[in-house]
Amino acid sequence: MHALLNSLATAAPASGHTSFWLPRSGSTTAPNVDFMFMAITYVCYFFFVLVVVLMVAFVVRYRQKGTKLEFHEGASEHNTPLEVTWTVIPVIIVVAIFFGGFKGYLTLATPPANAYQIDVVAKQWSWTFKYPNGAISDDLVVPAGRPVKLVMRSDDVLHSLYIPDFRVKKDVVPARYNVLWFQSDTPTGKRADGTDDFHNLFCTEYCGKDHSRMNRKVIVKGEADFAMWEKDQAEWLIKIPKDELYFKAGPILYARCSSCHTLDGTPSTGPSWGPYNGLPAIWERTEKGLTKVNGKPLSELIGPGKEFEHAKGYIANSILQPNKHIVDGFAPGMPTFQGQLDDLGIDALVGFMQHLNEFDSKGKLKAAQPAK
Amino acid sequence: MTTLDATRPLDTRPSADNYLTHSRGVLSWILTLDHKRIGVMYLVSVLASFLLGGVFALLVRTKLLFPGEVSWMSAEAYNHFFTLHGAVMVFLVIIPSIPAALGNFVLPIMLGAKDVAFPRLNLASYWLWLLGATCVVLSLLMGSFDTGWTFYTPYSTTTRFGGVVPVVTGAFILGFSSIFTGMNFIVTVHKLRPPGMTWFRMPLFLWALYSTALIQILATPVLAITLSLLAVERIFHIGIFDPAWGGDPVLFQHFFWFYSHPAVYIMIVPGMGIISEIISVHAHRHIFGYRFIAFSSIAIAFFSFLVWGHHMYTSGQSGLMNVVFSAITFSVAIPSAIKVFNWLATLYKGSISLTTPMLYALAFLFLFTIGGLTGLYLGTLNTDIHLHDTYFVVAHFHYVMMGSALIAMIGGMHHWWPKMTGRMYSEFWGRIGCTLVFIGFNLTFFTQFMLGSQGMPRRYYSYDQLPGMAEAFKTYHHISTGGSYIMALGFVITAIYLIHSLYRGKPAPANPWGGRSLEWQCPSPPPHDNFKVTPRVGDCYDFSVVRWDEASNGYIVDRSLDPELNPNAPKRKGHH
Repeated sequence: MHALLNSLATAAPASGHTSFWLPRSGSTTAPNVDFMFMAITYVCYFFFVLVVVLMVAFVVRYRQKGTKLEFHEGASEHNTPLEVTWTVIPVIIVVAIFFGGFKGYLTLATPPANAYQIDVVAKQWSWTFKYPNGAISDDLVVPAGRPVKLVMRSDDVLHSLYIPDFRVKKDVVPARYNVLWFQSDTPTGKRADGTDDFHNLFCTEYCGKDHSRMNRKVIVKGEADFAMWEKDQAEWLIKIPKDELYFKAGPILYARCSSCHTLDGTPSTGPSWGPYNGLPAIWERTEKGLTKVNGKPLSELIGPGKEFEHAKGYIANSILQPNKHIVDGFAPGMPTFQGQLDDLGIDALVGFMQHLNEFDSKGKLKAAQPAK
Repeated sequence: MTTLDATRPLDTRPSADNYLTHSRGVLSWILTLDHKRIGVMYLVSVLASFLLGGVFALLVRTKLLFPGEVSWMSAEAYNHFFTLHGAVMVFLVIIPSIPAALGNFVLPIMLGAKDVAFPRLNLASYWLWLLGATCVVLSLLMGSFDTGWTFYTPYSTTTRFGGVVPVVTGAFILGFSSIFTGMNFIVTVHKLRPPGMTWFRMPLFLWALYSTALIQILATPVLAITLSLLAVERIFHIGIFDPAWGGDPVLFQHFFWFYSHPAVYIMIVPGMGIISEIISVHAHRHIFGYRFIAFSSIAIAFFSFLVWGHHMYTSGQSGLMNVVFSAITFSVAIPSAIKVFNWLATLYKGSISLTTPMLYALAFLFLFTIGGLTGLYLGTLNTDIHLHDTYFVVAHFHYVMMGSALIAMIGGMHHWWPKMTGRMYSEFWGRIGCTLVFIGFNLTFFTQFMLGSQGMPRRYYSYDQLPGMAEAFKTYHHISTGGSYIMALGFVITAIYLIHSLYRGKPAPANPWGGRSLEWQCPSPPPHDNFKVTPRVGDCYDFSVVRWDEASNGYIVDRSLDPELNPNAPKRKGHH
């Protein structure tokens, strides 16, 4: 028995290595899942070989030659002891498997009390991770050696957060908070080729057009590194001088908008920020009130005494209450960025729109440093 | 009808007046009340849908040859194709394939009855099927749908594609078609058994159809209710499932799987029944453990209602529910295991003919063993958390739904083809077709176990953005797509030789395989009324009375040798 357990443990992937069946194991709960996986695999090997070998042997041995039926002595119609045996043995095996899975699941379902909490918002088709100190990140960066608890909700349809290397998964549901936890002890560090290593994070609940593009990196950092990253991440906007905001922060923030808004007029889920349909780029068409919203030009909404004093007010409103005014030709569906973008963030994005010609179609600055 | 001397052989001479020639003209088909003609119409319709669903599958597989975006199929088109593939295969193909097509044809004859209990309801069921299928086609014209065949809310209530309401209307109507068939079978089995056909004399295919019918009438109404609520929410914005209007999306999953898990057994249980028939007939051997197999069908039908929550381990339902559903799920594994062992024991000391139907039955044993065993990973709580919604699940349910249920259906079609058409197909091409399908199937779907356990989520249009994984995934996807082409070739060959047999096939004898149940004791094709006299029934699995008859070039059942029918019969040899 002991030898069997040992061989199971070695058949499962050691941390950092991929086996035939499973990806590398990167969390403290993964080895347990892998153990159950390999235990079931050996049960499957055994029964599969048993069934196929008997099947082939019987067919070869009892193959009928010609058209005459052959009758063999002792071909019984039933055999109660035998039938009870092959009922009871599978019962014992599945009960054992059930308890193995049950025990492992208890650990998976119970986040430790001291877990570090990260809030997760999923929406079509992006993930946002919010940290206790106010930091916001697109990738999931977590401290090594500490249990991490994700409290997750969706802004629109169902999603599901899946990290294969950690063997964890949980659906992300609108109007519900689902919780998932893991602990990864090894910082991801560098790969052999010098690039940053990371674990994959996938969306595994079908959520529409860009479902397969809804994936992120999971980066595990050592304690000191993580503390530094978390602080920088919370303060990065404040540290940027006001007049550099649009080209330093703009492209980074735009990455969150890029799955629906292109910069070169290419049609997508939302209106392009570049010129399209004969309209100029976003800032110009908003300032001049050219965009048609609910069948009327924006000039009826923007101006002294109107709903918005200034074009910037309209854009800020579109980011925070996106479904209030819908641009003609598009369907409501943009998630709100309330609580994710503060005034500095909105300043950076509006600045980015005002200087769109300084960026290429991917949002990268064309010149090394823009003319002041 | 009168019961005559039971030992007299039933009249099996081919006759110019059979169910195919009994009346002529299009109207004689579309208004027919004959269960055999309704079965044939179902079979043709189901096979046409299978072709359609298969084309969608090949489009999906072909896209996956390329890891990234391709110009000829956008992500949205891909989403439509996998959704259509699933919906067509589940609702139009697998659910009606065995009960409504083969079951309709075979059940009354096997039972020794003239027709089903309610022939008009039977015809209505077919017309409802057509109406439902029309709705599905209509939905394609109205913008189609991209929700996945599961219609999960709130995506399905908010997607911009307009085909959702027509298709759920279609599924709603198809549900009633399924309920009508189920009701008919239950009443037929209860009321129309001839003398001597006790419950435990019934061929196991009838037990399987009876169990299936129970599930059909008990579970399908829940689907109808769920889909109606979905349509109401989408049209009138009444909050049931979408939290934006005050609903609960997880409620939809409970409702949906409360039908759809039993539906999995609506698909597989009749397939198991066919396998029991094929294996015992082509091994010319009394089925082993008849009662265990019969009761395991009923047990599966019962347990199937109690396990729906295992589709929702990651949904956020309570941990306690997960544990309870996991425990009950494992109880379904037992009756399935029992059946596999009983089929194996039936091969032991048989007289095995490796005919095309038998090859399909052996393929079923191989594939169902893999499909069943891989279910263990998904019933187990902690391994399912890793595997849920990955390709592992896709591989598992294709092994069960296609490798088992559909392979059984195709095996059954070959088994009863001579009876239905009165023609023999080419055994040579039959074996080639079966071999290609078997090899292609395994290449297509076994690779998907590794894709899934390595972490590739299902319903992904592209996988080039998965660093460190894209290369390995690409190899697996290439093998899988290659396999699907081999499988398609196998099915094309099968279609060609079957159609060819209709025109050029040798006339089929009444009993080409050496079967013992009643359908092999009436002519091929059967007359309009199935039997000229109400047959008395012996033991349907006692093959000692079956012998080869040179004159008819087929087997005959020598009823005078059956001690059940003739007290003076010599004692049987080789059985006890």
